[in-house]
Amino acid sequence: MDVPFDLLVNALVAGLLLGAFYAAVTIGVSISFGMLDIVNIAHPGFIILGSYIAYIVNSRLGIDPILASIVMAPAFYALGALVYQVYYASFERYGQEALRGLAFFFGLLFVTEVTLILVFGVDYRYVEAAYIGPSVQIGIIDLPLRMLVPCLVALTLIGALQLFLSRSFLGRAIMAVAQDQLALQLMAASPTRIKRVAFALSIATTAIAGALLIVIQPVEPSIGREYIGRVFAICVLGGLGSLPGALIGAFLLGIVESFTASLPWLGPSWAPAVAFGFLLITLAVRPAGLFGR
Amino acid sequence: MTALLEVDNLSKRFGGFVALDGITLSVKAGERLGLIGPNGSGKSTLVNCICGTLANEMGTVRFDGATMNGLTAHERTRRGLARSFQLPRPFTSMSIAENLRVPLLYTVNARPGSHLSPAAIDERAAELLSLVGLADKAKHLPRDLTQVEMRKLELARALAAEPKLLIADESMAGLSNTEVADIVALLIRLNERGITIILIEHIMRAVMSFSQRLVVLVTGKKIADGAPDIVIRNPEVERAYIGQ
Amino acid sequence: MRTLTFFLICTAIGIGVFAAARLVDNDYLFFAGYVVLQYIVLATAWNILGGYTGYVNFGSAAFFALGAYATVFLHKALPLEISSLIVIDPLPIPVLIVIGAVISGFVGLGMGYLTLRLRGAFFAIATLALAVVLQTFITNWSFVGGARGAYVIRPNEIEPIGPYVQYLFLLMLALAVTALTVARFIERSRLGLGFAAIRDDELAAEASGVPTLKLKLIATTISGALMGMAGAPFPYYIGYLQPSSAFALDYAVNSIAMPMIGGTTSWVGPLIGAVLLGTLQQIATVTISSSVNLLIVGLLIVDCVIIAPTGILGLIEGRRTARDVVADPAVFALLFGINVIPIYFLHQEALTARPLEIIFWAVLIFLALARGRLIGQLWLITLPIVSAALSVVPGPPLQGLISILALVICLACGLLLRPREAATRSGTP
Repeated sequence: MDVPFDLLVNALVAGLLLGAFYAAVTIGVSISFGMLDIVNIAHPGFIILGSYIAYIVNSRLGIDPILASIVMAPAFYALGALVYQVYYASFERYGQEALRGLAFFFGLLFVTEVTLILVFGVDYRYVEAAYIGPSVQIGIIDLPLRMLVPCLVALTLIGALQLFLSRSFLGRAIMAVAQDQLALQLMAASPTRIKRVAFALSIATTAIAGALLIVIQPVEPSIGREYIGRVFAICVLGGLGSLPGALIGAFLLGIVESFTASLPWLGPSWAPAVAFGFLLITLAVRPAGLFGR
Repeated sequence: MTALLEVDNLSKRFGGFVALDGITLSVKAGERLGLIGPNGSGKSTLVNCICGTLANEMGTVRFDGATMNGLTAHERTRRGLARSFQLPRPFTSMSIAENLRVPLLYTVNARPGSHLSPAAIDERAAELLSLVGLADKAKHLPRDLTQVEMRKLELARALAAEPKLLIADESMAGLSNTEVADIVALLIRLNERGITIILIEHIMRAVMSFSQRLVVLVTGKKIADGAPDIVIRNPEVERAYIGQ
Repeated sequence: MRTLTFFLICTAIGIGVFAAARLVDNDYLFFAGYVVLQYIVLATAWNILGGYTGYVNFGSAAFFALGAYATVFLHKALPLEISSLIVIDPLPIPVLIVIGAVISGFVGLGMGYLTLRLRGAFFAIATLALAVVLQTFITNWSFVGGARGAYVIRPNEIEPIGPYVQYLFLLMLALAVTALTVARFIERSRLGLGFAAIRDDELAAEASGVPTLKLKLIATTISGALMGMAGAPFPYYIGYLQPSSAFALDYAVNSIAMPMIGGTTSWVGPLIGAVLLGTLQQIATVTISSSVNLLIVGLLIVDCVIIAPTGILGLIEGRRTARDVVADPAVFALLFGINVIPIYFLHQEALTARPLEIIFWAVLIFLALARGRLIGQLWLITLPIVSAALSVVPGPPLQGLISILALVICLACGLLLRPREAATRSGTP
């Protein structure tokens, strides 16, 4: 079958742009699941929440969605701290995370999604911004700004987080918690407090990721569920707890999805299966991921 | 006496951290071996590798003439290799008598030839509980037990598997002097009945009175292996461990 | 009681239920009852893997839908003429049930084999993935109807029972009895002890000689098979099957909510949960939208898992004092805030939905009581009671505002007030 070169190159570039966005969505789970061992399947729910808040601010006040999300991030941080505290007090403390903790997050995901349906309905919502619509042409490569801008924001976000984790005291404490809680306690730092900060951070990222999502595509409440598989697939593929790994995994997934969608004999209706198929294969073959410990 | 357990050049890493570095030791059938070392020296990791809870990267473990590499933990237990956990891990939803039924049903009854009837199993469980002094708590849940009692339960559960080799991992932490002496006496009695025992302890009094041979582990390496009174006078051992 | 006796008693009860339903002679009873019975099977099946063994399955819909679509496939493929002499006729439903069980059990086994050597969390995520992958495949498979859906034409009547729906009801009754018997049998067997050991501490179970991987695979297979069984008659029940109904969220949410609410440690729990929650939903289905229904179930999961983790069974057996639940202000805040949401939305529905609000008012009152007792401010309980009274009785908008205000004050005081040193102020409502 003869596939034009243009198509391939553009699919590749689209995949990279998409991948960067996927990485922004995943970064929170890299922290909560990769480092803290918390299976927060409600993560996509928070992202959709972020999308809708960006939508409200954008449609009522006309503010740029991404800027709005950066302002909203502290509120999400507080929400994340609250959720972690409940998770810790009700489950982690008693060693009940496996069953009850999971069910808790599942319930939260549902409540969030259905509440959004009840408030906003199932119609697709979208935002308006200067960069949604125009594209930049570089040779045969077509760069839609609505993909490029989120890509750049995502990369900045990831870079900032990686710097924070590797350079700052609090960041390194978080990485220490991921590795050895006992040693941390002996250093008179409270693992619970540090975990709370880390988890709150992971939720704060969802505010921004949500805004990026609604820039890239129109959003409706049940989209979150598509992302559950993607997010965990990327996390596992890249190796738990590794932010650079998550980025690479995200690029990989983005490219594969992009090719699947643009190649004529498959098409976009297969896209959801790609990520999840990836996940199942990764779990079966190399659960430690590409860069895992 | 032939070697019941042979550990040959065993190594285990966690990412970049080397937990065990080329450990070689052997335990003869019927022997009483003491294993000591500072916190973090790798004692529990060694136990985990021997028993199959963790997979070692390098080296082999041979038990009762057969290689253990590749065998799961439950298969090793069925072959006669039992251990208690340093931090007690009881089955929290079951009474302590039922805790003992698990190894009885899944290890003892899984061995070819032996098949205990339900009545015999209950009897064995009761016997084991009296052995460790928990007979009056048979119907209690683990959360009603004190830390000390939980350690006794750990020991009883390991014994329920009717092992040839028992690894007792810090079963005596928190016990009073008389209780320690009781457990040591119990272990010696079990040893006289034919069970080979590896005792991992920090309580020197217990280790010295119990062990026929002493092995010392420091930061993942074996630094001494021999008669107890000779080993503890080894300057390296003194420096690394007893000096603390 | 021996298993056989239990099975016979259940069968007798089942026949009794069927006979009583026939007396009422309202077809709707059979339609609704079928769904409740279906949930008994799904909840029991989920609980074998989830409650007994400790491995959460988020993809119950996948196994259910597999059974349903196996039926659709065979319905479309048969009668099949292999040669002029050999013709395979369409299969009766009981055979389809067995086929559904086999297929779903097999898939459960396969997925378990891929993921059960890893931690429980990975298995849970993989089950989510499985549901989506399967739904995508089936949506793209035109032979079974794809996204457009498939019609499964069923006869109106069947001898000697009468209306076809009653036949389906009877089948599902048989499946429910089977599922409960299987669950109870497992619970009391060596297998059940092994499952419980795995749930309590998998590492210790391995060390005690329990072949954990093998047992987990058995649990996954049985659980999947039972769910597939429940799915097999579904196309005949519903008449027109689309992927969105076979893979509906309701199945995933309910098969988790029902055992958790009823109690996960025994076969009785899923039964209680399925009957209670299932009946509630069937009644509510005429008064509220399906979204609000899902909201309620999702919220009940959160409430149950925090306040009554051992479910109704646990409450009956007197476990887990609820007082320490609200010791942490974060828990009080989140639970209080989150339980206001369904009240708000139920308020928007028809007046006949108001009774459902009672559940959440009860939770709010309970929270205020527990928190009030803890911080020595028992008067807090008056606030949600007042709020409930004001909101349930229709009146001017001011009434609603005061109702909301009362709740806000309750939340704020519950968080900000501290116990007083001198226990002079005990405050009674």
